Amino acid sequence: MMRTRPKRAKKPRPSTYTPAPGHRFSVGDRVAIKRAFPPGHRRTPYYIRGKEGVIERICGAFPNPEELAYGFDGEPAKVLYRVRFEQKHVWPDYQGPARDIIEMEVFEHWLAPAPGREKRAKATRSG
Amino acid sequence: MTNMNDTPFDYYADKKHDHTHGHHAPVTGRDEGPPSEYEVMSRAMQELLEAKGIVTADEVRRRMEIFEQDYPYRGSRVIARAWTDPAFKRRLLKDGKAACAEMGVDLEATRLIAVENTPEVHNLIVCTLCSCYPRELLGSPPTWYKSDNYRARVVFEPRSVLKEFGTLLPEDVTVRVHDSNADMRYVVVPMRPQGTEGWSEEQLAEILTRDTLVGVTVPKARSQKSEGRG
Amino acid sequence: MTDKPLNKGPHDMGGSAAGPIDTMDHGMRFWEKQANALRSTLTGKKIVRLDALRRAAEDLGDQYYKLAYFERTTAALRTVLLEKGLFTEAELKAKMAEVRSRFEVPREPHSSAGEGTDR
Repeated sequence: MMRTRPKRAKKPRPSTYTPAPGHRFSVGDRVAIKRAFPPGHRRTPYYIRGKEGVIERICGAFPNPEELAYGFDGEPAKVLYRVRFEQKHVWPDYQGPARDIIEMEVFEHWLAPAPGREKRAKATRSG
Repeated sequence: MTNMNDTPFDYYADKKHDHTHGHHAPVTGRDEGPPSEYEVMSRAMQELLEAKGIVTADEVRRRMEIFEQDYPYRGSRVIARAWTDPAFKRRLLKDGKAACAEMGVDLEATRLIAVENTPEVHNLIVCTLCSCYPRELLGSPPTWYKSDNYRARVVFEPRSVLKEFGTLLPEDVTVRVHDSNADMRYVVVPMRPQGTEGWSEEQLAEILTRDTLVGVTVPKARSQKSEGRG
Repeated sequence: MTDKPLNKGPHDMGGSAAGPIDTMDHGMRFWEKQANALRSTLTGKKIVRLDALRRAAEDLGDQYYKLAYFERTTAALRTVLLEKGLFTEAELKAKMAEVRSRFEVPREPHSSAGEGTDR
């Protein structure tokens, strides 16, 4: 059965994700979190600074919370990634098995390619 | 009218079973005892904002009602749907916000990522930096989620934390912790337990208590009311 | 010479030493539900940004550890609303005195109900 399209423009379907044109990293890339300790509002937890992980997914581009916190509009939006880390790498004294992982969101400006690492197999997007 | 500080319990688990233990503190309730400095401050700020026409008492009251009567019941319905409809589950895992919208669940500003428990992987959610939580899906977070001890410990000793909640995982299961530190919010899709074959979505929703959707416990195929915690 | 990690905010507690978790949900008192609804109304109407509220809580320094959850959020909201000039300190002080007087109850010999930190 054919239906005529409604004349009014449809509202865009809601999505968790937004586009991230020009994203620097791709799923599976090995990255390092900047070993930097700037003052002010940051959403990169202290415990992950300087650690290495793998891009698990690209979330999209969002206004920078480090600017929003002070009344600025946070534009231009920054690409946000989810990064996966091995717990034994993050915590030297980690008591659980080596297979345990931790994931979090990291903005692109906190990321650099992991030094001297070749691309490994793609991180699975097991949700 | 019961003082909410008397007996700790999962208010929402109770309500799902529709038991009337007299614990239903209505939104128009009152706290007992003299107010703290911060309660006075909060009320004063609200009144000043009302007087200046920035918010109305009605708007705030409506938000209280939504947090009380609507939000807390959504998550279990969505996950129960995922348990009964594999195609919906795939869509939920692919794009949480879109899948909720399908069900008429409007997450407003929240961007939801659903993470699935499997025999190989157990997921656990935290916000170490504050208390980020998918409020439009699950309601307000429990006090333990917002506590300093949970925020500090679950990232570096998740198995020990799980044990405190009575959850023991085999060593060959991967524990996958999610620190919801930026724009995404998370919900766990637990494994559907044995003994729930043929259950309706409503019955399944009843065992999908809040704790199971954050990942500190796993759902069990029996009534939760004996546990006293959801 | 301080041993404190450089620029680590009080909120940034992942990995810090901490004690057992009170695994029971103690719910929210009425005023806390109202405070939560106020915050939600203000952010929903884009009058304040959640990021600013977080930053204001983080700037509480050592005071952060002395406050329970809704005390932190209330202190943070106060900071941000003052910054935005939505009311003045004097107005707030006066209104608080007025609110306090409405709550005046006869003094009882026992101590007041514990506020209950969410630790």
